[in-house]
Amino acid sequence: MLRRLSYGQSYILLGVLLAAALVASAGIGAFTFSPERMFRYIGEGFGWIPSVAADELGRNVFLKLRLPRVLVAGLTGAVLGVSGTLMQGLFRNPIVEPGLVGTSAGAAFGAAIIFVFGESTALSFATPLGSLAVPVAAFVVSFAATMIVYRLSTSFGKVNVFTLLLAGIAINAVCAAGTGFLSYVARDPQARNITFWNLGTFTTADWRGVELIGLFFLICFVWSLRYGKSLNALMLGESEAASLGVNPERLILQLIIVNTIMVAVATAMVGVIAFVGLVIPHVMRMLKSADYNFLLPASALFGAITMEVIDIAARVIIPPAELPIGIITAVIGAPVFLWILLRQTRNGGVGFYG
Amino acid sequence: MADVERVSYRVGETVILDDVTVSFAPNRFNVILGPNGAGKSTLLKVATGLLEPTAGAVRYGDRPIRAYTAPALARKRAVLSQRVELAFPLSVEDVVLMGRYPHYGRTPSRRDREIVSRALELVGMTPKRRQQYPTLSGGEQQKVQLARVLAQIWNYDEPREPKYLFLDEPTTSLDVHYQLHLLDVARGLLDYQCTVIAILHDITMALQYGDVFFLMENGRVAHEAHNAAEIPVELVERVFQVRASRVTDPADGQGLWRFSL
Repeated sequence: MLRRLSYGQSYILLGVLLAAALVASAGIGAFTFSPERMFRYIGEGFGWIPSVAADELGRNVFLKLRLPRVLVAGLTGAVLGVSGTLMQGLFRNPIVEPGLVGTSAGAAFGAAIIFVFGESTALSFATPLGSLAVPVAAFVVSFAATMIVYRLSTSFGKVNVFTLLLAGIAINAVCAAGTGFLSYVARDPQARNITFWNLGTFTTADWRGVELIGLFFLICFVWSLRYGKSLNALMLGESEAASLGVNPERLILQLIIVNTIMVAVATAMVGVIAFVGLVIPHVMRMLKSADYNFLLPASALFGAITMEVIDIAARVIIPPAELPIGIITAVIGAPVFLWILLRQTRNGGVGFYG
Repeated sequence: MADVERVSYRVGETVILDDVTVSFAPNRFNVILGPNGAGKSTLLKVATGLLEPTAGAVRYGDRPIRAYTAPALARKRAVLSQRVELAFPLSVEDVVLMGRYPHYGRTPSRRDREIVSRALELVGMTPKRRQQYPTLSGGEQQKVQLARVLAQIWNYDEPREPKYLFLDEPTTSLDVHYQLHLLDVARGLLDYQCTVIAILHDITMALQYGDVFFLMENGRVAHEAHNAAEIPVELVERVFQVRASRVTDPADGQGLWRFSL
């Protein structure tokens, strides 16, 4: 479908789909809103049109709960799409995503530390950081976890898939154990929060979340667009990329930093959502191109679209309750992951698309 | 010209390059010969600037390569090594366009595109330019990589400046047709102010194609010859631990080497 379109036309098509998904996601749920009502609420919220007092409940639900949730979901999807693209480019492997290489689990562990001990005396140094303490801790642990997995799985400029998987398992296990320990020692309301948040949720989304994820996504996304050419060159291997003028050491460090910032902030806000980062770039590659100059913007758009659809599903499958997002993404994503892995190993490690 | 001056490379106590000084002949096909572990690949990596030597320096013309920025160095010299496999499907054109990466910022200019198509023409891959790289045979993939390095140091148009092509056993695992094709294209560059510096796997072919030979042994250059006929047979026998004999091809009078244990 996208094959015949230019890159620009593809973005426009994805953008239109995203707009439709946003409207649908904002309209569907325990409260349903018609597009007309939504735009009226938004107008009222900005003070463009005088508000109708009789409709205060609807407006509050829409502006304080639904809209931030829809935006957080879209931004998180975009973060995971871009992050998956960067990580697959860095590891030169289509099975990689932030959940696999320890980025998400590390972020969850880091965030949980502040969550549980944040207000106690032991970590009172974190209080000046205020609301940023959780994302900052998430970033630090997440960065360390990703870096360790990358170092372990790379030797002589080549990434070994099996070492990568095993290193990922080990690091994820360590982080999961850390988070598990914290939820064990935590007092009850915190503990339940950690468990729920390990599966990913948008129910707690608010405007602060929109601002934080939005700001860091924007910075990291614009930053990552500079790496399109370098990521393409890296496909040839580290030494080939180096002879094309790319400094692989520096590139790898920068990629891990930019990726970890985005993922850590998103994870600190909504929890761990696995497999989305895996599937998004993969679908874009199959539909159009593996050129990273295309994949980075396309994965951001398609990630946002996908996350809106998943979030709608989470709200409508077992009403009035809500399914944690991570359960839905795992049910869909895990089989796709196994399918890609199978094809990759059958092709003798040449790669999925070979 | 490319000069390697008093270069040493050590890893811990192990000496891999031991005070090597080599002056590669400009616009000639320079061949580095030597047994496994003699330090050929390390010398090539140092000469391309991919590896920082423990001591000594490398110069292109009058300018030490440390003075180049990474993109400027990439416009000056290109490296073609053994077959490269891609884990993702890029078109042949996209792969060749990578050779132009050091030359443009966000979007390739019309000249970059034109160079890509002329490079594909030179290696005879124009009909397959829209095909996915991973679907090509090994020989065809290497032709595409050759087009990529040609595009990187494109020197067919005036004004020209000295350029360097490094070959690191690029013909390994290619059949004889592709080997000869690759070396012919590389030799063709010599007329366009380009110096070729190669490590070749097949010593017979190396002696047939090269102009200048550097025979390496234990991290040193043991012998330098400007003609394959000048290389002492006894030295080749000692360095490679084989028995060698040189015969003359009655058809064209060229020297041919034969090796046995």
